[in-house]
Amino acid sequence: MARAPLTEAELIERYGPHLNRTPPGGWENETEVDSVVNTHCCFCGQQCGIKLKVADNAVVGFEPWYDFPFNEGKLCPKGVKRYLQGSHPDRLTTSLQRTAGGFEPIGYDAAIDRTVAEMRRIQDTYGKDAFSVVSGSSLTTEKTYLMGKFARLGLGTANVDYNGRLCMVSAAAANKKALGMDRASNSWSDIPLADVVFVAGANIAECAPITTDYIWRARDRGASLIMADPRVTPLARTADCFLGLRPGTDSALMGAILNQLVERDLLDHDFIEHHTVGFDEAVAAVADLSLSAAQEITGVPASRIEQAAELWGRAATGVLLHARGIEHHSNGVQNVLSCINLGLATGRYGKPGCGVMTITGQANGQGGREQGQKSDQLPGARDIGNPDHRAVVAEHWGVTPEDLPQAGLSYEEQFQAILDGDIRGMLMICTNPMVALPDTNMVRAALEKLEFFAVIDFFLSETGHHADLVFAGSLHEEDEGVVTTAEGRCVKINPAVTPPGEARRDWEIILDLARGLGTQRYFPYKGPRDIFEEIRRVTSGAVADYAGMTWERLEAEHGLFWPCPTVDHPGTPRLYEGPRFAHPDGKARFLPVRHQPPAEQVDAEYPLWLTTGRVISQFLSGTQTRRIGPLVDQYPEPLVELHPRLAERFGIADGDLVRVASRRGELTAPAQVVETIRPDTVFVPYHWANGKQANLLTNPVLDPVSKIPAYKVCAVRLEPAGEHRPVVDDRGTIITTGEEERA
Amino acid sequence: MSELEDFFGRSEHAGVGDRIYVLDQSRCIGCNACVQACSECETHGGRSMMHLETVDRATSTQTAPMVCMHCDDPTCAEVCPADAIKKTEDGVVQSAEKSRCIGCSNCVIACPFGVPEYVPEFDMMMKCNMCYDRTSVGSEPMCTSVCPSQALWFGTPEEFYATRQGSLSNEFQFGNRTVTTRVHTVVHEPGPLDAFLGRSSQPSVVSDPFGIDEIGLPEVAR
Amino acid sequence: MGPAQLDRRALTLGLIGAVLVVFASAAGSGWFRWFDTALAGYLFGVVFFVFGTVYRYTVWLRRPPTAKLHARGWQALWRTGQRGRNSRSLLELIVRNLLLQDFIWKRSKSRWVAHQSLFWGCVLAVAVTFPLTLGWIHFTSVGQRAQTYEATVTTIPVIEFDVGGVIAWFFFHALDISAVLVLIGVFIFLFRRLKEPGTAATTRANDHLALAGLFAVSITGLMLTVSHTFLDGEFYSFINVLHALTVLVGLAYIPFGKLFHIFQRPANLGVRFYRAEAAAGAGQVCSQCGEAYASQLQVSDLKDILPDLGFDYDSDGDGNWQDVCPACRRRLIARSQSLRVGGFG
Repeated sequence: MARAPLTEAELIERYGPHLNRTPPGGWENETEVDSVVNTHCCFCGQQCGIKLKVADNAVVGFEPWYDFPFNEGKLCPKGVKRYLQGSHPDRLTTSLQRTAGGFEPIGYDAAIDRTVAEMRRIQDTYGKDAFSVVSGSSLTTEKTYLMGKFARLGLGTANVDYNGRLCMVSAAAANKKALGMDRASNSWSDIPLADVVFVAGANIAECAPITTDYIWRARDRGASLIMADPRVTPLARTADCFLGLRPGTDSALMGAILNQLVERDLLDHDFIEHHTVGFDEAVAAVADLSLSAAQEITGVPASRIEQAAELWGRAATGVLLHARGIEHHSNGVQNVLSCINLGLATGRYGKPGCGVMTITGQANGQGGREQGQKSDQLPGARDIGNPDHRAVVAEHWGVTPEDLPQAGLSYEEQFQAILDGDIRGMLMICTNPMVALPDTNMVRAALEKLEFFAVIDFFLSETGHHADLVFAGSLHEEDEGVVTTAEGRCVKINPAVTPPGEARRDWEIILDLARGLGTQRYFPYKGPRDIFEEIRRVTSGAVADYAGMTWERLEAEHGLFWPCPTVDHPGTPRLYEGPRFAHPDGKARFLPVRHQPPAEQVDAEYPLWLTTGRVISQFLSGTQTRRIGPLVDQYPEPLVELHPRLAERFGIADGDLVRVASRRGELTAPAQVVETIRPDTVFVPYHWANGKQANLLTNPVLDPVSKIPAYKVCAVRLEPAGEHRPVVDDRGTIITTGEEERA
Repeated sequence: MSELEDFFGRSEHAGVGDRIYVLDQSRCIGCNACVQACSECETHGGRSMMHLETVDRATSTQTAPMVCMHCDDPTCAEVCPADAIKKTEDGVVQSAEKSRCIGCSNCVIACPFGVPEYVPEFDMMMKCNMCYDRTSVGSEPMCTSVCPSQALWFGTPEEFYATRQGSLSNEFQFGNRTVTTRVHTVVHEPGPLDAFLGRSSQPSVVSDPFGIDEIGLPEVAR
Repeated sequence: MGPAQLDRRALTLGLIGAVLVVFASAAGSGWFRWFDTALAGYLFGVVFFVFGTVYRYTVWLRRPPTAKLHARGWQALWRTGQRGRNSRSLLELIVRNLLLQDFIWKRSKSRWVAHQSLFWGCVLAVAVTFPLTLGWIHFTSVGQRAQTYEATVTTIPVIEFDVGGVIAWFFFHALDISAVLVLIGVFIFLFRRLKEPGTAATTRANDHLALAGLFAVSITGLMLTVSHTFLDGEFYSFINVLHALTVLVGLAYIPFGKLFHIFQRPANLGVRFYRAEAAAGAGQVCSQCGEAYASQLQVSDLKDILPDLGFDYDSDGDGNWQDVCPACRRRLIARSQSLRVGGFG
């Protein structure tokens, strides 16, 4: 029974989010800066280099890191203000346990003992797999490796998964199927060399801001820009060809373009013949996507589809960048495959200025999944179902392959398993499903059903409200390790300060739990460096081969791209050179993609499409960014974006409150009436909690292969909900938009 | 620099030199990195000197960043009754001298670029000084350093022409008045930028983003 | 300030000012009967200082924006029906703004401490030295044993005091106190400039000159006391010359350097009344967005001044750029620029 012990208002009063606006000691603080630490941003998958200024064991500001090659000093507003998450009034400095009257501090050792006892009780009563582990992609690779190994050997449960499951897994699965390897095909330095840049379902300006400059560098050389999105995002405003497609119709658009490439003979026949298989089947699968059929399905004028095919097909070089816009679908893997098919048809692999890349959304989404916290993978991006892979890892870990659990349940599936009674206890770190998972009401019901729920976090998130026990873990700047960026570049995170009070570095907590469980023999580490050295050994010879990387090399060489098998290997920024793909025969696979409509369709009752996404000033579930005042000021609460024609039809004026309802829940927020969104679609950003979650509305249906939820499309209806009267509290936080208090 | 200033000023005074600030508003993505980074400066901690507006959010995602353009003949300084606004020899128009500014707001109203701001709390004007603490010692302004789209750019004209499209222009036409500035903007064809041009309802590239004119409205919005 | 040619009117007023000072000194010192000839150099300094200040002030007041504000400030202050209220608020403003300088407190505490220290140090020094220099105050010993002194202002004996008493100590050490106050201020300011990179970058030679001058005057003054008290007057005459020199140079510098702000700051009070008057009137509405962005009074005042300065923001068909609000100016420029690079919007 992990029902939140206090009302939401009481929890917010005690644990935030409160807003931090000033560096420690205020703006007039004259304490001298005692060190400047070269590290990386804690937020998205770009992992921009940043210098943190440290005084008296507190991060007091930042300085651009001009020498780091990826971003050369550039940062988005989140990176600039990220330092305000340190020295924050909401920072957890002791472990907490839930009591009838709220949360109370508990000694660290007692917290470990209690968690171990609950783990034992649940596993003894219901079986090993009844206790699950859910981890996060903002952790260093060392920690993600540890989480996977702890779940499988420390706890012996098959059920371990991570929140990258909500992010890049469609691209991961598609890349592996088609090309044989799960990694972006190129480093970003190929983008400026492209003659055409095709961006599909990626709001680059707001979700991967630093990539904007890479695209402009290509355009400064004369490249054209194609952008496919249901909204005219800030970069799309400047596109040479804008494809304003209906949500959920991506593979139809890509299929129609493939058709056009064939029809206009804009193909790289030599490449197709020698380096791929399956071309004919892939073309046959899109045969029915004529221009008029595609216009009917996607809502994009046929003339623009032709223009896109011409631009993409005629250019000498080209890159296609895609992100959650095409991946967060019940056919997410198919959507990515349809993009890869465009790349293969035009021979855009293994050459300068060519590639099809996913833009990883989370800090360490890449490293996190390839080093073993994904339910179906072992370290080195090995398959947990592959006997050879199991044998290698088992040997490194000093167990027999039989000791290794098989694939477990994915993130979303674990929540269904809680409701079904198959999972009874959970350890969670660094993720906030109360905001992040689709169908918030279902998530809440599941959390309330858990017999024991332990959380490791630095702030008490909305998910933490439901915990029985909360360990005060570590912030990004309080620990060190390696992160693999969207480019496949492994970079070193350096510690700037030490954890406050009773807070511990996350890996210390996991090691203490293993000790309590009596499984410490598998974890002979003094710190993250030991873990990294083990990762090097274990991944040697695997796909994601880190064997040649050392912490020192990563720092000295500003990161290294895997595979990097030996210490004298320069790393591999561009994959598939030759071209030679990662399948045993060296050839890429065209996979036939037949367009499937979204799992949920609009109808008379729910006549509109909803799509969700991010805003620049917030990150994911907002646990950090909703506590940073200047970022909150920038976009304080979710707005419902809709077209003036739609607004007119429903009698909604800009700024009015509007109620958006789906089959799963409803949300009330102010309307933003703009011509920059499709007239049949509404958009709500998803970072907020306490009744403002866009995910109250979204559909928990999963892609059958990647198990990613379909965040980007579902059916909703709209109704006006009166005038908007924001209520602002004495801290300047907008605390309500006038909606009813949720029970 | 006068000898006097060398003697009393900073010994490592490198000056802004031949580096220029280039403001290419068309590339702005409205991310606010510049605004947030500007507010980190110690001389005006917590307060940004950077301007960033949406041009007309109802119809476009276009945004308008603006920094001090550092006019050759600054209107702000001319209309200042207290001689509080000075230009350095490297062409940077400084923020109001704290001891002189009497908070009249003449500069705020008169600046053709809409840059200076009156800060009631301090009863004085404050504005961008091209991060003189950084640029005068060889570093870059904070806003150009962080700008993800490089709509805000800093370097020499040679570097600009080696890497970017378009022509640099530092002439602005405001009705009968031509203003030349130290900060440059980017135009395709060389020549002064007529500030009133933006009033025209000239169609933009993405004028009908969803092809409504071509294929009609989706049924639900009809 | 381009001193290419001298302003005749300012020159005349400056000379009149100088003559008036000499006359005041003569009249106050019983036609130089009590004038201390040792202070003749200082008198010259004061005369030049008054000349320079009047000259500079006149030149300053004749600049179009200053003249406009000057006229508007007085108009607003003496507006019929408001005089009583305005006089009261003027008094309050003088105390808060000119004497306590609360606006500096809001900008930075350490800055305020430094400035108050400098300010009161200088006020004290001027209050002591100017009357002495002009010969308005002189001291005479009472009786034979020179144990009691009498201070006389012009011809009126004001106070008698004992040489060993508190009052005597204050009279003799007032300048030491002022020097210490000034030095405290100087060092806080110097510390801020050296330590804070932001402050350091925007520091002009002018700022350093003012601090250097104040430092020189104070330190040489203190050295006089040191010489007199601890060194039996060793080096006294040398230091005395040095001190006089620093004071003379300092006095000559004030009207033309950073410290001229002392005379400019009171204009801030005029601004207060001007602003109140403008706010009571109609607002100027932006020709683009229709929102009020300033007072009509101030915008029309500026539109008066700008052509005098050679700035014509009017246009043939688009109206006056000054009628566009600052935010819309920025928006329009961005839109204009975008149209010139290919039209994304």
